[in-house]
Amino acid sequence: MSVRDPALVVRGLRKTYEAGTAPVRALRGVDLTVRAGEFVALMGPSGCGKSTLLHLLAGLDRPDEGTIALDGTRIEDLAPQRLARLRRRSVGLVFQFFHLIEHMSALENVALAALVAGARPQEATARARDLLDQLGLLDKARELPAALSGGQRQRVAIARALANRPTLLLADEPTGALDSDGAAEVLDLFRRLHALGQTILMVTHSREVADGAQRLVRMRDGRILLDGEVTSGSIEVPAELRAASGPWARP
Amino acid sequence: MRTREGRGRLSSGGPILVARAVLRERWWALLALGVVFGLVGGLVPAAGAVAERTATAYTRLVEAVHLDDARTIVPADVPEVVAEVPTMPGAAAAWTPEAWIVQLDGSPVRFSSLIAGTPPGDLVAPVLVAGRAPDPAAPDEVVVSERSAETGVSLGAVLPVTMLTLDNVADFAVGFTAAGPRTTLRVVGVARMPSWGNALPDVVGGPGFAAAHAGTGIGHAVYVRFDDTPDAAARFTEAFTAAVARHPSVVSDYLAPALETPRTTPDQAVVAAERALLVGIGLFALVVGLGAVQVLGLGLLRTGAAARPARSVEAALGMTLGQSLGARALAAFPAAVVAGVLAAGVVIAAGTLEPLGSQARFEPAPGFRPQWALAAVGGPALTATFVLVAVLTAALTWRTSAAEEPGPAPRRSLVRRWPALLLGSRLAGAGGRRGLPPAVTVLAATAAVAGIVATVTVGASLDRLVEEPRRWAGGADAVLVDAREPDVARLVDDPRVQSLALSETSYAREPDGGLLGIAAQTVRKGTPPVELVSGRLPAAPDEIAVNPRLAAQHQLAVGDVLPLVAPDGTPRAMTVVGAVVVAREDYGELGQDLLATPDGLAAVAVPRALPLLTAHVFAVPGAGAGLAAELAAELELSPTATPDAVRNLADLTRLPGILTLVLVVVAGTGMVHSLLVGARRLAREMAVFTVLGATPGQVRTTLAVLAVATAVPAVLLGVPLGVGVARLFWWEVATAVGVGGDIAVPVGALALVVAAVPLGAVLVTTIPALRLRRLPATASLGAW
Ligand SMILES: Nc1ncnc2c1ncn2[C@@H]1O[C@H](COP(=O)(O)OP(=O)(O)OP(=O)(O)O)[C@@H](O)[C@H]1O
Ligand SMILES: [Mg+2]
Repeated sequence: MSVRDPALVVRGLRKTYEAGTAPVRALRGVDLTVRAGEFVALMGPSGCGKSTLLHLLAGLDRPDEGTIALDGTRIEDLAPQRLARLRRRSVGLVFQFFHLIEHMSALENVALAALVAGARPQEATARARDLLDQLGLLDKARELPAALSGGQRQRVAIARALANRPTLLLADEPTGALDSDGAAEVLDLFRRLHALGQTILMVTHSREVADGAQRLVRMRDGRILLDGEVTSGSIEVPAELRAASGPWARP
Repeated sequence: MRTREGRGRLSSGGPILVARAVLRERWWALLALGVVFGLVGGLVPAAGAVAERTATAYTRLVEAVHLDDARTIVPADVPEVVAEVPTMPGAAAAWTPEAWIVQLDGSPVRFSSLIAGTPPGDLVAPVLVAGRAPDPAAPDEVVVSERSAETGVSLGAVLPVTMLTLDNVADFAVGFTAAGPRTTLRVVGVARMPSWGNALPDVVGGPGFAAAHAGTGIGHAVYVRFDDTPDAAARFTEAFTAAVARHPSVVSDYLAPALETPRTTPDQAVVAAERALLVGIGLFALVVGLGAVQVLGLGLLRTGAAARPARSVEAALGMTLGQSLGARALAAFPAAVVAGVLAAGVVIAAGTLEPLGSQARFEPAPGFRPQWALAAVGGPALTATFVLVAVLTAALTWRTSAAEEPGPAPRRSLVRRWPALLLGSRLAGAGGRRGLPPAVTVLAATAAVAGIVATVTVGASLDRLVEEPRRWAGGADAVLVDAREPDVARLVDDPRVQSLALSETSYAREPDGGLLGIAAQTVRKGTPPVELVSGRLPAAPDEIAVNPRLAAQHQLAVGDVLPLVAPDGTPRAMTVVGAVVVAREDYGELGQDLLATPDGLAAVAVPRALPLLTAHVFAVPGAGAGLAAELAAELELSPTATPDAVRNLADLTRLPGILTLVLVVVAGTGMVHSLLVGARRLAREMAVFTVLGATPGQVRTTLAVLAVATAVPAVLLGVPLGVGVARLFWWEVATAVGVGGDIAVPVGALALVVAAVPLGAVLVTTIPALRLRRLPATASLGAW
């Protein structure tokens, strides 16, 4: 895969939930391209469909319409088995509430992901140790999640998401449950990963956190509203996107 | 922020408000739990009611029939003894109806004894279970025992009979023609007694019969009620024995007036069956009770877990933990009352059940017998249990959620080849933050497996005892009561005869005066009719083998010495060389107490004027029926009936099956329920696993590993435990009956348990696995 290939290409994505009385149109036609190595922040009001989009990208749920190409592979019609394999190879996920397995140590949480991705036991342990070391958590490797602070837990969760060397790291409000120190820790980590070439798509409600990213995408009501480079607080909309059929172009 | 007053009002009214809120939100779930717990949990006191009715059947019957303390039959030629009885020391009351022996017409070998008279009402009053009592004016009406009714002399039968004279009885061994008057017996009723026996015949006539046939009997039956003094039995026995010794009779050999004491001699067959039943009911109650509490606990745990945030709100509002728990108790109360009322109903309904198994034959008042007291206690007890479990589960949820402290880290960071195995084993071995601790689940499953294994094993042992007469030294094709040499020699030469042994029986005296039945056998062909339980058969005059029951009572082992006293008073030490079951001819208790060599028997046994030899004849396969029919035509055969002890147990053979079914259903439901609840609790972990890229198959494998982690230890521990329990229990029952106590291990059934439990557990997990597969993983992750 060359650097110029997009890590993610999304076209015309729609998703409607049949919940309760009225159907909820969570995504109403999303187009998004993330190039390899990009660090994209996704912002938008609550309920605008950010998490839904991430779910679809990770293959955890299916779109009603539209296409998703991950690493050049179309995933919207894959069988659950194939989706799972794709996920274990190409996707890493970080949640707001960490979702670590509480009965497993930090090391085991990370190694489990490597194992699922197909690593042999020694490799998995070595990789987990390595990641925890890089994230400054080697001394906590044998602790259970309950013994860690929020920031430490989130760093373990990030290590876990990286255990399979994902093409795309998806993070849904990774700093949402952390205090400002914890948030800074995580953001700093993401920037370092970005510097190392990791492709990241991160949902956040915090402008400060978003500022740490390279590119900012804004959503509203299930559509992409704005897309541009982050340049010290303002957004510079790239020309190609300005010309494209952004939702704001056709009100 | 809040005034003292305001805080106080909230604190006192708070629990009620919270209880109302919980009820509004959860009333349906609580009510459903109340109904289930009431109906299922009610089976526990209901089992108690059935157990009570079963266990007391015998004693209630003893009271209902005014069972005598001592009885015997005194020959007609010594009326002085009968006349003295009412005034003998120790006797408070006595009834001495006349007794007859009749020969049933058309059969040279069918005899029956009979008593008739006016019963005093408070001494020997058999309970009628069918028909009516004899009309006082009718000269031929009788009631018969249930045993007779079952074996041919049934209600409505009209039997022409000829009475025997006392001289006939004296000639019993040499042959005679019945010389008494001819008459007819009309069976108008069937009566129940705890024990019929030699001195209480199976046929009882009324005053009409007694008046019509007065003076023609062979003697009088004597039924005695002792007075309240502690040594009444001893004083009466001494006086009676002295009286018998003063007045010798011409028929001492056949009608030696030996005292029977029906009250003090517990019927071993009854004791064994009753013990088996009570253990069975106890096991049933235990399993059902544990199952009910488990279902209730898991159900309420969900309620408590749902109310977890509520507790933090309540705490913030100043409610103490006690008040919050009180609120949960209040909220649970209505459902608990429903449970209690239903349970009481179940107990009352259990009053329609007769005593279980053979004990039904002792029920003096068949029909509906509600246990109001048990219902009155059991209902509230279940209500209290419901409330208690509600409070405990709430406390458990809150305590564990508050204590989000680090548990001990896993000792080694052992990473295994299969991620599903790693995750499954970690989740299985983890502490109980999300539900019951795994140890409790494993223990419950172990208990269930052990219960099933024990029940199946005891059932197999029971079946084997009933189906293999050899185990109680039975199964002879013909038993000649009085075997004479020409017949024996002829049979030995008969190619249809496989084995033939002659048995001689008598009594041996212990140093303390007790009598033990003793037998000796001479094998004339084939193998002896003996079941060797352990050790070997006696080979020398001072060697003896004992019945397992006697061995257990006297704590005798091979190599021990059993002191006996020869008739002339010289002590004789007999060495125990084995445990054996030797057939007995009266089909009551199983097995003679002792087996000696013929020389040994001659040395220690009370000599009999006319030793009778019994021949046990075993035919070659297929020839049994023909040979028996041929012999029956010309010789007196002992009926080849199954001994009472085995019959009582045979009544129970369906019980282990039923119990196993109940155990499987209850334990199975409990296990399925806890597996399902467990899987539901792990939905988040499974979703995370999916997010990491686990396939649906891997998720399923993880749940299967969890199930196996419960099922395999349960099987590994439960099977040996169950076999051990069965061994102990069956040994108790078998030795009480008088047979060998080794269990029959149902290898096939056990293999099925070993295979089916883990397999079933794995199969159960396909249900949550399918559910997880249908739902997108994100549904279980809640707010990201
Ligand atoms: N499983 C579901 N069933 C029904 N409706 C859903 C489901 N998941 C999301 N929705 C709805 O879809 C819409 C988009 O939800 P989504 O979680 O993607 O929003 P979001 O942008 O992540 O919001 P937030 O910033 O609050 O996390 C919302 O209106 C939500 O209520
Ligand atoms: Mg969201």
